[in-house]
Amino acid sequence: MSNTARLPADTASAPAPYGLLIVDHRGVVVSANDRLCHWLGRDASKLLEKPLVTMFTKASRIVFETSIVPLLSLNRQIDGVSLDLRNADDDKLPVLFSAELSGSGENQTTSFVFLLADARRAYERDLSTARTEAEDRLTASLHEAELREQFIAILGHDLRNPLASIGAAMNILAREPLSDNSKRIVGLTNGSVKRMSLLIDNVLDFARNRLGSGMHLTLSAGTDLEREIEQVVDELRSAGANRDICLDTANCDSVICDASKVGQLLSNLLGNAVTYGDPTRSIHVRTRKRGDGSFELTVKNYGPPIPAQAIARLFDPFVRSTSQGDQIGLGLGLHIASEIAKAHGGSLDVQSDENFTCFTLLIPQQPTEA
Amino acid sequence: MNAVLRHNVQSAGSGERPMVFAHGFGCDQSMWRHVAPHFESAFKVITFDHIGAGGSDASAYDAAKYETLNGYATDIVEIGDELSIHDGIFVGHSVSAMIGALAHVARPEMFSKLIMVGPSPRYIDDTDYEGGFTADDIKDLLASFKENPLAWSASMAPMIVGNPDKPEHGQELADSICKIDPVIANGFARATFTSDNRKDLPKITAKTLILQCRDDIIASEHVGAYVRDKIPGSELVLLEATGHCPNLTAPAEVVSAIRKFV
Repeated sequence: MSNTARLPADTASAPAPYGLLIVDHRGVVVSANDRLCHWLGRDASKLLEKPLVTMFTKASRIVFETSIVPLLSLNRQIDGVSLDLRNADDDKLPVLFSAELSGSGENQTTSFVFLLADARRAYERDLSTARTEAEDRLTASLHEAELREQFIAILGHDLRNPLASIGAAMNILAREPLSDNSKRIVGLTNGSVKRMSLLIDNVLDFARNRLGSGMHLTLSAGTDLEREIEQVVDELRSAGANRDICLDTANCDSVICDASKVGQLLSNLLGNAVTYGDPTRSIHVRTRKRGDGSFELTVKNYGPPIPAQAIARLFDPFVRSTSQGDQIGLGLGLHIASEIAKAHGGSLDVQSDENFTCFTLLIPQQPTEA
Repeated sequence: MNAVLRHNVQSAGSGERPMVFAHGFGCDQSMWRHVAPHFESAFKVITFDHIGAGGSDASAYDAAKYETLNGYATDIVEIGDELSIHDGIFVGHSVSAMIGALAHVARPEMFSKLIMVGPSPRYIDDTDYEGGFTADDIKDLLASFKENPLAWSASMAPMIVGNPDKPEHGQELADSICKIDPVIANGFARATFTSDNRKDLPKITAKTLILQCRDDIIASEHVGAYVRDKIPGSELVLLEATGHCPNLTAPAEVVSAIRKFV
């Protein structure tokens, strides 16, 4: 072993905030500074001629032999390794070390620099614990969110049955001889049933979308759509406190769509128009086919314009106007309407200015089969 | 993804007979960099990374599958099947010596020769058996990863410690060796150091060579002798090399011993 492999006497004994150590090609200690000997609680004579690996705790020995030795051998240097030395009292000494190889064959030596890393180790441990806790909390809240959405879906189903009973009861009552007042009450109750039914549909569609099963369409191209639109408009007319709704349907036949979903969409748009539109003026519902064959449905009301900043988030779930006192629903109506349009491969857009507010549904049509 | 891709399998060499080199715990296939190329003229040399090491697909990690060494052995059999290995040679370092033995017991026709470098069928002492570690040592080892989360920092994949947006990252990734995923390494440590495959040794029918180092704290000389005594007809060569990684610290000696055997 050449003398250059050993620490010069003044280096070994100089006051230093770090431990220095040199091992030979077998990993046996040939030199160590006083500070390291002090940390380890051993005389230099007790360290020399011992394999460095034995100065680590057993756990650190395994990492050292299986991972650090190969890395050192392949890279010839290594930085910032975090392991534990073991002192004469068998106490753990958390250290950071860097090491570098020089020479080759039997003349190969490796120099190590050690730094005490107690506080740093505690900090890393806390970071690691905090990360584990954050991951656990995230997992728990994802699970809760899923349960919540399942809950909404089940609740929606459970609400439908009693509502259907009320609706059926009203239909039976309507066939009985009734006073004018009773007839009015039956009409209002029917309107409430329809509105409640729409809210449940929206909530269910929302929960299904969020649960990942998406919106399921039952496509057909018959005359269902026109009937559906007329029915929705009639329902809103009877429930909408004498609001005038002008209906102009044309070219509604042979539109490929899920008629009941488009009806739900229209119902949501009309609900919105009844709430926000000018009560003294009509609401206009109009359908037509565009030149490219796509189907267009517009709902127009004369209300105050929707502020520009509100338009950006208009189709997000749970968004409600902050300018209006009386609210209906959860703020799901326009979101679900927009989702229905998307499910059809179409779009729902809004145009709103001083003159009017108009929602436009556009459903592209596949070329009809020959 | 098939096993060959999943395990970053590399093959080289002009020979017919397949020779598979398996790295042990704590590193990756670069462990064989100074040994495997010496066999390329006579064999079809195959190296790979265990899941969580080197260029393997860490997303294939499944804690339940890899709870014991059998999960790792299944991977070897899968790779062997995909490469149609028959009558091959398996060279396993450290824990991979046992993983290879398990793969051989499962599919005896796949490998007819086993070379075990620093094998140990059980690391924890038992009645009449000295593995080198007490149960508490191993408990401490596994606990130490919680206590010292950066124990593997020197071997952590740069994608974990580095910033992928930095341009120097790519270079670092290409240069990195002995990469291991710290979480998977902890699982591998558990599977390795709590393993007990002593009963599998007598089932080995392949011709077996054991390469034993001096002063190996992971697998001591008497563990090597135990393995030799339990594997019928096996042969043990005591190397001059010290430590646990002679494939890196004394590659010439390892190459020469393997060459004599194959």
